Amino acid sequence: MNAPVLAVLGGGTLGQAVAKVAQAGGAKVRVWTRTPEARASLAETLSDVELAESVETAAREAQVVAFCVPASALRHVARQYGEVATGDQFVLHAVRGACPGADFILPHRVLREETCVRKIGVLGGPLYAPELQSNRPVAAVLASRFDETYEVVQRITANTPVRVHRSRDVVGVEVAGALSNVSALAVGMVEALELGDMARGVVLTQGLIEAARVGVALGAQPETFSGLAGVGDLIPRHVTSTERHYELGRALAEGTTLAHALRDMGKEVEGVLTAERVVAFAAHSHFEPVLCQAVHGVCAGTREAGEALEAVLTADLELGRGVMWS
Amino acid sequence: MVMRPEDKSRILTEVQSRVVEEKVRLAQDHGQPLDEVLADSIYHERRRLSDDRNSSSKDELEFWRDAQRQLVRTNERQQKELLARIVQRYALEICGNFDERVYKLATRVGPPSLGVLLNSVSPLRLATRFSSLPSLDDAVIIQGAAEQLRRLHELGTVILAPTHVSNLDSIVMGFSVYRMGLPPVLYGAGLNLFSNRMIGFFMRNLGAYTVDRRKKDPLYKRVLKEYATLTLELGYDNLFFPGGTRCRSGAVERKLKLGLMGASIPAYINNLRAGAKRPKIFIVPATLSFQLALEAETLVDDFLKEVGKSRYIITDDEFSQPRTVFDFASQLLQLDSRIYLTLSQALDPFGNPVDDHGESLDPHGRSIDIARYVTVKGEPRILPQRDEEYTREVGQRIAEAYARDNVVQSTHVLARAVFTLLRLRNPQVDLVRLLRVGGHYEDMELREVYHEVGRLQDELRGLSGRGGVRLGETVQTGTAEDVVADGLRHFDSFHSKPACQRRGDRMFATDRNLLFYYQNRLEGYRLNRHHRLPPALTADHRSLRGDA
Repeated sequence: MNAPVLAVLGGGTLGQAVAKVAQAGGAKVRVWTRTPEARASLAETLSDVELAESVETAAREAQVVAFCVPASALRHVARQYGEVATGDQFVLHAVRGACPGADFILPHRVLREETCVRKIGVLGGPLYAPELQSNRPVAAVLASRFDETYEVVQRITANTPVRVHRSRDVVGVEVAGALSNVSALAVGMVEALELGDMARGVVLTQGLIEAARVGVALGAQPETFSGLAGVGDLIPRHVTSTERHYELGRALAEGTTLAHALRDMGKEVEGVLTAERVVAFAAHSHFEPVLCQAVHGVCAGTREAGEALEAVLTADLELGRGVMWS
Repeated sequence: MVMRPEDKSRILTEVQSRVVEEKVRLAQDHGQPLDEVLADSIYHERRRLSDDRNSSSKDELEFWRDAQRQLVRTNERQQKELLARIVQRYALEICGNFDERVYKLATRVGPPSLGVLLNSVSPLRLATRFSSLPSLDDAVIIQGAAEQLRRLHELGTVILAPTHVSNLDSIVMGFSVYRMGLPPVLYGAGLNLFSNRMIGFFMRNLGAYTVDRRKKDPLYKRVLKEYATLTLELGYDNLFFPGGTRCRSGAVERKLKLGLMGASIPAYINNLRAGAKRPKIFIVPATLSFQLALEAETLVDDFLKEVGKSRYIITDDEFSQPRTVFDFASQLLQLDSRIYLTLSQALDPFGNPVDDHGESLDPHGRSIDIARYVTVKGEPRILPQRDEEYTREVGQRIAEAYARDNVVQSTHVLARAVFTLLRLRNPQVDLVRLLRVGGHYEDMELREVYHEVGRLQDELRGLSGRGGVRLGETVQTGTAEDVVADGLRHFDSFHSKPACQRRGDRMFATDRNLLFYYQNRLEGYRLNRHHRLPPALTADHRSLRGDA
């Protein structure tokens, strides 16, 4: 059987890790990255990988296309991919956060709005790029409405340490991933303010409750949040995007402004926009996302981290059964 | 062109061979033994027949008893033969008794129009009163993508997918198809519709085939789907009601059962494999909007029954009483009422919009090669899980089209306003209680109603300007007073009790259930936010919200 062709769009840490795993699994890998400089440096790190100059060249007639780009770049890259996308392609993404736009826009919606593809798979759970690059076991969730997507990913990862767990809940896995980044921002603040492990636990629990409420309002299954994509993602302390979110949370709690902190980090921190979008999304319901409100307030510079976290720590943690109005 | 006689026999043979081959293959490769399939059929049919003891069921019962006797001592070959006999029996029952002479007569004298309808329900009344009635021609307004529908009919096979409120829908659809200059479409009509002998006669001969929804046997459903698939492959345009059954709540359907819609993908794949000249299947959502619904009282009553007690098939409703149908039709037409049929942009079987040339488009208007959606290792192939998912997507797109192309009329706005005010005046009473036993207050000031109607009109005009809904003439251009007067005139005309009534300068909610039914047509548009009232229905519009 011919080796499947996998296009990796984005040459960052995750993109490189995905490329290595796919290669180890026997796929023929093409990688596109945005700048010629990044391409040159990739040529040194990744051997036997075809480096494409454009999104179209990388993705044309590939069997699987993996988006490893930040949420803010997703639409732009997806639009270019849309020029060559075909209905038989499998599209994976590991974007954790709301995408820019007027509403609470999830990544799969962007892919649908920009391309003709249907077979979308969302990678979630405790994905950690350095783990992917090493040979240690990695567990991830793949959510797709199509059994075929799971089967193709399973074939590619069969001889690698990556264990993929199957889910059908595309919305749930995306929301869980997005909100875990908001929680990570808050945990960074908790640590900077030395509030202790109990506070950390409360923040993570509240984050999970909010994820479930928002997710269910958007059509997710509540069980997803108690599985690997929800609770399972919060237990390991180092998940793909967690570190930069911790780092930003810390900086904000220590009084740095968002603009300065982001400039110093030089990386995208999706949790900032996600928190803002959740607050706007919940505005017309009876549900108060206190954690997202706190994080958003601190990011926007309208609240002090200490006061904002106090509101989270004293909030009623009861997991309500009601669903937000949609 | 309804069904060519040679196609009918071809379909019967082909349905039989495909379904039998599939079951034999499943028995060999997937461990689903034939005797289990047969036992399942016998069980379901005998159970159904034990509840239905009319004269024709005796023959049927004999058939199934005999089948059971045979099953006990059969080998594999005999099981296959028995399966073939059952499949043939089902297929024959489903297939309409097409008679070309009747078809010619029917098409020469006219479409299944109001004349036919009234003639069939009451020839005597027709003779005395029909001459004074306005015609259905003036009452039905066909709007939207009618021209596209005509073109797509030439380029492939069309599935019309209308909303389903009343049994009259099929008659209005039949009439509209004729008026658009298209040949009659095939459609699966519930067995109960054939109980009116004249309507049944015409329906059978104008393309309807029988669907017996009492039959729970999975094999029957399989035969039905294969029948629909084959008619599509042979180029017969079809009409499927994706909601499955008439909508009980009165709301625009949001969660669709889809059923036969799933035939579109296998039909397309089979066409590709056979190298058909016009392999494409186009799905055209069609939204019907009436001021009044014939069966409103029965349907809402059924909706409000406790969960699990509602009936999937209703046989004793207003439609079963010819006089009621006659009164409804004549009153509706005398009121100068409009029935809107809005045809939405066509979709392919994967949920993409289709242009006038039959090309599927991506969200940026780029042309898509849809064969790739069903390609596996270079060949078109049926994959049930994947295809089901595509069909689910089509269902979502159809539901969105229904919401956009629903035409809001005076009765809906008036009912919405009065029902909202009723809820606001009884804040301590939950919705279930309000509907079952009523609140403390049943009336309100007329000026409050005018104010709320005016507010709703403003909101609806904004929504309609953004393409979110369509408005009937009075709602669009009339004043709040016009809308209230038009709504009251309609409510007063037909139902045993009007939904609401004006007495002096007050408005009375005289039938809360009917108000609820008509106001539900505006559910799902987020119109309650102004009053911070939760929606009355769950997001799928299939049940009452517990916390409302």
